[in-house]
Amino acid sequence: MDHSFLYTKKLLLVDDEPELLALVSVILKEEGFENIITASSVSEGIAAAKTEKPDLAVLDVMLPDGDGFFLMQQIRDFSDMPVIFLTARDEAADKLAGLGLGADDYIAKPFLPEELLLRVYAVLRRCYKADAPVIKLEGCLIDFERAEVNKAGKTIPLTAMEYTLLETLARNAGKIVTLDVLCEALWGDNPFGYENSLNAHIRRIREKIESDPSKPVSLITIKGLGYKLNTRK
Amino acid sequence: MKSFVRYISKYFVSFSVLIIGLVLFNLLAFIWTFHRIVLNDYSTSSPQNMVADVNAAAGPEGITDEMADTLRSLDIWAMFLDSTGRCLWSVELPADIPADYSVQDVAAFTKGYLRDYPVFIRCREDGLLVLGYPKGSYFKITGNYYPMDIVKMIPVFFCVVLAIDLTAMFLAYCFSRKKIIRLTEPIISAIASLSEGKPVSLDLSGDLSEVADSINRASRILNRQNQARANWISGISHDIRTPLSMIMGYSGRITGDAAANDSIRAQAETIKQQSMKIKNLVQDLNLVSQLEYDMQPVHKEPVRLSKLLRSYTAELLSTELSGNYPVELHISPSAETLTLNCDARLISRAVSNLVQNSIRHNPEGCSIDLFLNCTADTICLSVSDNGIGLSVDKLKEKPHYMESTDDRLDLRHGLGLILVRQIVDAHKGTMQIESEEQKGCKVSLIFSRSE
Repeated sequence: MDHSFLYTKKLLLVDDEPELLALVSVILKEEGFENIITASSVSEGIAAAKTEKPDLAVLDVMLPDGDGFFLMQQIRDFSDMPVIFLTARDEAADKLAGLGLGADDYIAKPFLPEELLLRVYAVLRRCYKADAPVIKLEGCLIDFERAEVNKAGKTIPLTAMEYTLLETLARNAGKIVTLDVLCEALWGDNPFGYENSLNAHIRRIREKIESDPSKPVSLITIKGLGYKLNTRK
Repeated sequence: MKSFVRYISKYFVSFSVLIIGLVLFNLLAFIWTFHRIVLNDYSTSSPQNMVADVNAAAGPEGITDEMADTLRSLDIWAMFLDSTGRCLWSVELPADIPADYSVQDVAAFTKGYLRDYPVFIRCREDGLLVLGYPKGSYFKITGNYYPMDIVKMIPVFFCVVLAIDLTAMFLAYCFSRKKIIRLTEPIISAIASLSEGKPVSLDLSGDLSEVADSINRASRILNRQNQARANWISGISHDIRTPLSMIMGYSGRITGDAAANDSIRAQAETIKQQSMKIKNLVQDLNLVSQLEYDMQPVHKEPVRLSKLLRSYTAELLSTELSGNYPVELHISPSAETLTLNCDARLISRAVSNLVQNSIRHNPEGCSIDLFLNCTADTICLSVSDNGIGLSVDKLKEKPHYMESTDDRLDLRHGLGLILVRQIVDAHKGTMQIESEEQKGCKVSLIFSRSE
């Protein structure tokens, strides 16, 4: 999936360890993010969030003048920007507290660069999805703004269900999305016995996006688990 | 507890044996002390024999000189009264003893004493022979008569009293045994809990409160030590995370750095892989210690295991695995909609550890199969591989990581499997390992559906 539209987003990193701050900055900069601001305490973080108005904050839980949860509450007073926590504690309670306060995700230390990028992309895409109205597949384009598929010069409209399914798959492009996640996206919490309906929707989507629906190349079945959407740059 | 009852019974038996022994000892001591005096009493100088001897050697006319000398040598005096109470002769008669006696006088002294001399008599047709022993040499019972009823009652009385005594003793034993068991039961169960490493708090009053206090103190000390150990491990695992982030972050970057040459990238890959191992080890270590000391609250909620396994498998396939480890998930239709009341994070961790185990033990690659099955009352979650496996003997040889005192660390199970066992324990489940050399290994986690 094309991430380039996200590279202009402004990211705020708050951590009291200068080495870790440098590492995260380097990883993000190398990936293509241009606007990265850093802070090393709660007070600096609040000041930076106010003046710079970042699009995403990555906060350490342990800070010299308070904790990341407190910092997030302060930020919430004036901004709805998405927040990801970096935590060295792996206790479940901490994570729940973080997410309960409205954090968008957390990353447990230690982490690999890929993991960090994956989460940052996922949160940014979720919060700024309107910026990505078109995705490119093998042999067709999906225009999410118009809820249409453009295949071989023809425009095919998507139903609401198909739109939701494709949107869920596109958000996790290249990754397996389980049956459960897809069913929940369509029918809410704990759906049972909807697999046949799901199959029917997938079949209809394939007819719209695949050149040969019986040999799908974009919307792949992963036996027993779910589906995967392959996109092209 | 049973052994304690046995201990008390044994104690009672030995106590009874002691009592019987003491009685026997007393009897022997009595016999040893008195047998000489008793023997002496039946010697020639005893009143009975002496009266007979003197009777034979004397008559109304006098006594033989020989016998008179014998009497003198034994400090015994003698006299012979005729039927009117007149003294016919005497030997060594003390001055305060009169020579004539009325019928009343004779009646008064025959049973006992004459002027404090214990006297012994023999009635003859021709008179009365009286022998007087030195004052204080014999004690005579002057009023020895008992009603016949009492004499007849004595055997019955002894039997009844003995029966009452024995019953009382037995009741006392039963009561005290019960009381001791009641008092010591909480203490014994507390010690049993302590030996399992669980904290206890005893609240006892009375004689055993001191013991209870000591046990509570021991429990507090153990608890504090466990807490300290868990905190220490949790502190280390916390502090190691930021440095490890740096190592993983930069080695990860170097592996993907086009400017670095192949050998440097390969080295960075090794650093990355090894740091991942440290990361897993640190996480496991912390979780194991938290579970071991009950410091990790287990957040149980109904979880659809089919969903959890699909999500885990999808993640696994999306991230780390290469083609050497094909993974397949098999969920039986009946298990599809089942929920288990469990901590999803811990169950996921257990499955992950089992899969990582299979990968680690089979560097050449192997196929990994995850199964979810159920019976009427159990849910079975299995991870199986077709790798090198382990012989049953080898499995048995490996002791628990924390219980092992063997310095050869490689003989122990990995930390990963211990964590799995602890997670299973926390959910009151069981773990089964089936393995055969060269035929792979299958680990099943079995939970009760009612849990």
